[in-house]
Amino acid sequence: MIFYPLLSAVGQSLYSAESRLDENGFVVDREVFVGLENYAEIFVGAQSERFYNALANTTFFTVVSVALETVIGVAFALMMNRAFRGRAFLRAAVLVPWAIPTAVSGLLWRWMFQADGIVNALSGSQVLWTAEGMAAQAAVIIAEVWKTSPFIGLLVLAGLQIIPEEVYEAAKLDGASAWKQFWAITLPLVKPALMVAVLFRLLDALRMFDLPFVLVGPRKESVETLSILAWDSANQLQYGAASAFSIVLLLYVSVIVYMFVRLLGADIFQSDATRPQSSRRRRAVSPAPRPAAHHQEETR
Amino acid sequence: MATTLTSPTPARGAAGNAPTAGRQRRRSGGSASGSLLTILTWLLALVFFAPVLWMVSTSFKQENAAASTPPTFFFEPTFEQYAAVLAQNAGPYFANSLIATGVSTLLVIVLAVPASYALSIRPVKKTSDVLFFFISTKMLPVVAVIMPIYVISGRLHVLDNVWTLVILYTSMNLPIAVWMMRSFFQEVPGEVLEAAQMDGAGLMKTLRSVLIPMVTPGIAATALICVIFSWNEFFFALNLTAAKAATVPVFLMGTMTSEGLFLAKLSAASVLASLPVVLAGWAAQKQLVRGLSMGAVK
Repeated sequence: MIFYPLLSAVGQSLYSAESRLDENGFVVDREVFVGLENYAEIFVGAQSERFYNALANTTFFTVVSVALETVIGVAFALMMNRAFRGRAFLRAAVLVPWAIPTAVSGLLWRWMFQADGIVNALSGSQVLWTAEGMAAQAAVIIAEVWKTSPFIGLLVLAGLQIIPEEVYEAAKLDGASAWKQFWAITLPLVKPALMVAVLFRLLDALRMFDLPFVLVGPRKESVETLSILAWDSANQLQYGAASAFSIVLLLYVSVIVYMFVRLLGADIFQSDATRPQSSRRRRAVSPAPRPAAHHQEETR
Repeated sequence: MATTLTSPTPARGAAGNAPTAGRQRRRSGGSASGSLLTILTWLLALVFFAPVLWMVSTSFKQENAAASTPPTFFFEPTFEQYAAVLAQNAGPYFANSLIATGVSTLLVIVLAVPASYALSIRPVKKTSDVLFFFISTKMLPVVAVIMPIYVISGRLHVLDNVWTLVILYTSMNLPIAVWMMRSFFQEVPGEVLEAAQMDGAGLMKTLRSVLIPMVTPGIAATALICVIFSWNEFFFALNLTAAKAATVPVFLMGTMTSEGLFLAKLSAASVLASLPVVLAGWAAQKQLVRGLSMGAVK
């Protein structure tokens, strides 16, 4: 179930559906085995310009939107973690952008971004958001960040809630400022949850499809991502090329994910990642485990 | 509106103090800066929420007011759009979505909690390989995956079947659930487990009465994520279902493509479609604040 789609894509990518003349001069529409020709086409052939553009767009969208989402998401989580009136309402409310299917929110944004739409009316500008160029890229990024920041916010908030209160009390006794507490305590403890959230955002952002597709449209140079390129090839019955694009994207995604995990999330994989944390806690929670038994009794 | 709940001087050491009370005081320094932060939070949330408000307000407009230029801000509200949406017999779509979302989320949590526990507390040498294997399913573009899945479903005669979606959504959400739950389990201090072991609690007992209560916020967040991802999943639902098993996102797009783009109606349908998620978010956020972690180590 997991490997069949992958294998079938690899197999498909070695074929081409182009009409060719056979030995007798007849046109055949059969799929022909072309080996790595589809890949050569992508990297150095006729498709290469479009491919490198899509690769650049995909990377640009991913880096900018995931970075913005992370900052906004963490800010949201920190704010929502505080006590204030109506936070239950706000916590549920900020989920709405994420709850609307991307295809639909793409449409809604397209309508808000249209030349005489609400965005231009409110900002008093005349930007053509859904045409080509920088404005279209900005529109995609705004809609994407708007939609997926709640995801990171929610996961970080859950991570924040699991941090024991005592950890902060020790820091407060030491007179650590709120800023310092954030960098020295909150961030390291939330890091595993945050890293996983960012990782899954990377996975999805690199495969971004519906938002630029609905918001701006297919075959628009400035917003064409690798997924759209693969879709477009498949739509023209170029299944071989489409599969080749998909495989290249797969490789690209796995390289990025691998690099991300190795460079930033080293402790995701260190099984003893909890050690330094728990020793920090041990200090914070001095007369340690004994009374835990007591609590257990209560939960029983 | 903007008042903090910062109580004067906390009775710190009091054992009977509810964990939430301690939690509520966190990070809300002085009350002046606290209310400033609260105002800031509301402002930021409002900016964020503005497009949703616009959608909600549009859903109460007549079609011509919704499409007017410049946009109208003041209008006589009408329930016409909601009536139109409800008249389209949206019931079966919602039922399908509820089944696909509810059952798959339940399955994911039941499978992910033990799996992530094993991967975080008792890691083996191949743990990282296993974790990478889990997310490898998320690396191929959906466009490339849909064809083989369509072919398989066709051969098994499970096209247009809501249980196919249940299986797909379960496998779609399982990787992220395992990864998330694992990161939450890792936040649990080792002493807690040692203490439980010293008390002679077995594996199941430790998991049930010590670990799970501690990571409840994590489970709630993970479940909510699964609910949202399956609730608004569009691509599989569009390609693998027809009349019988179509879900809410398919219905949403259907309201629009069959009769041109009616913005007010689409807005009304979107509002209705996101209501269950808001309810789920409301329910989950209650679990989110009930962090029991501090009680456990005390």
